[in-house]
Amino acid sequence: MSEQTKMIEIQNVSMRFRLTDDKIMSLKEFVTRKLSGKLKTTEFWALKHVSFDVHKGEVIGIIGKNGSGKSTLLKVIAGILKPTEGSVACAGNIVPMLELGSGFDMDLTGRENIYLNGAILGYSEEFLNSKYEEILAFSELGQFINVPIRNYSSGMMMRLAFSVATVVNPQILIVDEILAVGDAAFQEKSRTRMMELMSGGTTVLFVSHSLSQIREMCSRVVWIDHGNVKMIGGTQEVCDQYQQCT
Amino acid sequence: MKQVGKKSTKIFDIRYLCIVLAALYVLLAIAFYFLAGAQLHYRESRSNIDMLPAESGTIELVDGTRVEQVFTTRIERLKTISIQWGAFYRTNAGTATVNLYDQESGTLLLSSTYDVSSFGEGTITDLTVDTPLEGLVGKPLLLQILADSAAGSAATPLISSSAEAQDGFALYLNGEQAPGQLCFSASGEDYIWTGLHYWQFIAGFGLALGTYLLWVYYRWKHGKYSVLAAALSAVRKYKFLIKQLVSRDFKAKYKRSILGVFWSFLNPLLNMLVQYVVFSNMFRFNIPNFPVYLLCGNVMFNYFSESCGMSLQSIVGNAGLITKVYMPKYIYPLTRTLSTLINLVISMIPLLAVALLTGLRPTKAYLLVGFVLACIAIFCLGMGMLLSAAMVFFRDIQFLWGVLTTIWMYLTPIFYPADLLPESIAWVLKLNPLYYFITFLRTCIMDGVSPEPVMYVQCFLISMVMLAVGALVFKKNQDKFVLYL
Repeated sequence: MSEQTKMIEIQNVSMRFRLTDDKIMSLKEFVTRKLSGKLKTTEFWALKHVSFDVHKGEVIGIIGKNGSGKSTLLKVIAGILKPTEGSVACAGNIVPMLELGSGFDMDLTGRENIYLNGAILGYSEEFLNSKYEEILAFSELGQFINVPIRNYSSGMMMRLAFSVATVVNPQILIVDEILAVGDAAFQEKSRTRMMELMSGGTTVLFVSHSLSQIREMCSRVVWIDHGNVKMIGGTQEVCDQYQQCT
Repeated sequence: MKQVGKKSTKIFDIRYLCIVLAALYVLLAIAFYFLAGAQLHYRESRSNIDMLPAESGTIELVDGTRVEQVFTTRIERLKTISIQWGAFYRTNAGTATVNLYDQESGTLLLSSTYDVSSFGEGTITDLTVDTPLEGLVGKPLLLQILADSAAGSAATPLISSSAEAQDGFALYLNGEQAPGQLCFSASGEDYIWTGLHYWQFIAGFGLALGTYLLWVYYRWKHGKYSVLAAALSAVRKYKFLIKQLVSRDFKAKYKRSILGVFWSFLNPLLNMLVQYVVFSNMFRFNIPNFPVYLLCGNVMFNYFSESCGMSLQSIVGNAGLITKVYMPKYIYPLTRTLSTLINLVISMIPLLAVALLTGLRPTKAYLLVGFVLACIAIFCLGMGMLLSAAMVFFRDIQFLWGVLTTIWMYLTPIFYPADLLPESIAWVLKLNPLYYFITFLRTCIMDGVSPEPVMYVQCFLISMVMLAVGALVFKKNQDKFVLYL
């Protein structure tokens, strides 16, 4: 490794969820159940003692079966979930691409939503002002940008969301599956943009079920199984092992 | 989220902000001194003597007779002495003279002569001085009433014959002591220690503030944590986000309505009009300038209920965001409180308009309204944080809150006078934070003077305590929100 600056330090992270049969949403329900002793919770550890470091410029692939805790790990790193035990320290700004278009407001125009969504993703006003034309051009929305987005088709909405989300060069990028949205042409364009982002020297955490993508992109791979780190190491090695197991 | 490195706290120069804060403090201290005016120095005396209900007359006040009342008071600046007269249901003639003596030294303090023919049944005469009388605290005073009327056309000062004897009070009719008490009142002002020591206060607080700022600067220079520096860097970091969210909330409120923002003016006016028609016809409260009285209460209470109602939903309603993107969670109730605050500020315009239309004239005290608006906003922020956190765990809160707001509204003197509540539940008023805010606003707008200094302290403390409670509960639970959404 040429660059040894630690960008993310994950130390002994465990995440516990308490599962009840139903979510208790009212005081009455809570009290009656508590009194009748029916308040059963089963504990579920989505992550158990996960530790690893991510260095600057690395592209880390995270693989594992459905429900193995990959997305939970990403959410913990992004700061959305607070780990039950352990700690995560990040140096630099994180752009989480977990779901596109969260925070869009249907009654605002495309233009207003660019600023709103950009602010939510943590961009500054000057940055958005300078990149506005670029976002608009990439989204190919043209004159529709001044129309409330409730009138957009779902494809248009995704194009706008993708354009806002990928306009930055974040220090840390968290990607849950490579996003390819819109029609065939836009899918190709967005795929290229993602590749550009991920190979541009940013530190990337990347969850995917496509081993070929992982092999193509990643410098290291973390294999998570039932909340444990089963294996961590070079791409080739881990992917081969993983393929044998499944 | 923990950040490695101290970069985030070093990106701005805190020295500049410290200087701005210090300058602002000095400026506000001086501005407040002038805006608060006389109310900073004196308040209505707590020892005013109220007039007792008249029960009978004394003697027919013909030439040569005299009625004398000895009394003592703790009023520090005596301003007005009033006496109630009876006229035997006839038109009288002659003059009556009222003198006030300091009994110990025998000096004549006040004297006034009235035309008896102008007295009706129960007429009250006021004896007011230009410069308030000082130094009379605890001294026996003699109120002497003389006349030159002829028998058959003389008036009579009224007395409350069943009044209980008090220390230092005595009634003399023609030099002979009699039971009861003359129907008179004495009023004036007391000094307030804030006025007497204002500049010492300001200097003391200024010193404390200066020391704190220096300490913050020192900590910042050495890369250590301090609340102020952290708060400032958070403001800097999230300013744009807050601005965007506030503008979204504000736009969302009037989305697809034709009149749009105009409703912010219209709503309080229409509300006030309805209540005005209802309450001035059904219940007749003896409140001067009832429209402004109503509007003051309405505007404040509506802000409170709207802001808390919006904050209540802020965490649950933004579930989609909270589970997808990280940002400090206090931003959600904060932006809701701020976006409704814009409404409150806008609704000050119809309030001002109605005040002008009903004949009130703006004074410098109107500028003090900003203080109470800030206080109620901080109070609502605290309340909103508490409610939004509770709402995540118990969704029943939203229905309970609806009922609670209604109860709260009826317990707040919005459309009835504060002293209407029966003794037994009057204490509720003292516990009602909104009562203090509304009274503050009414004093500024309707009386055109600054409220007593103690009101500032009350409003400030109430809002700060609420914020502390709300923030504490919120902070303790915020990491669990995402698990319950």
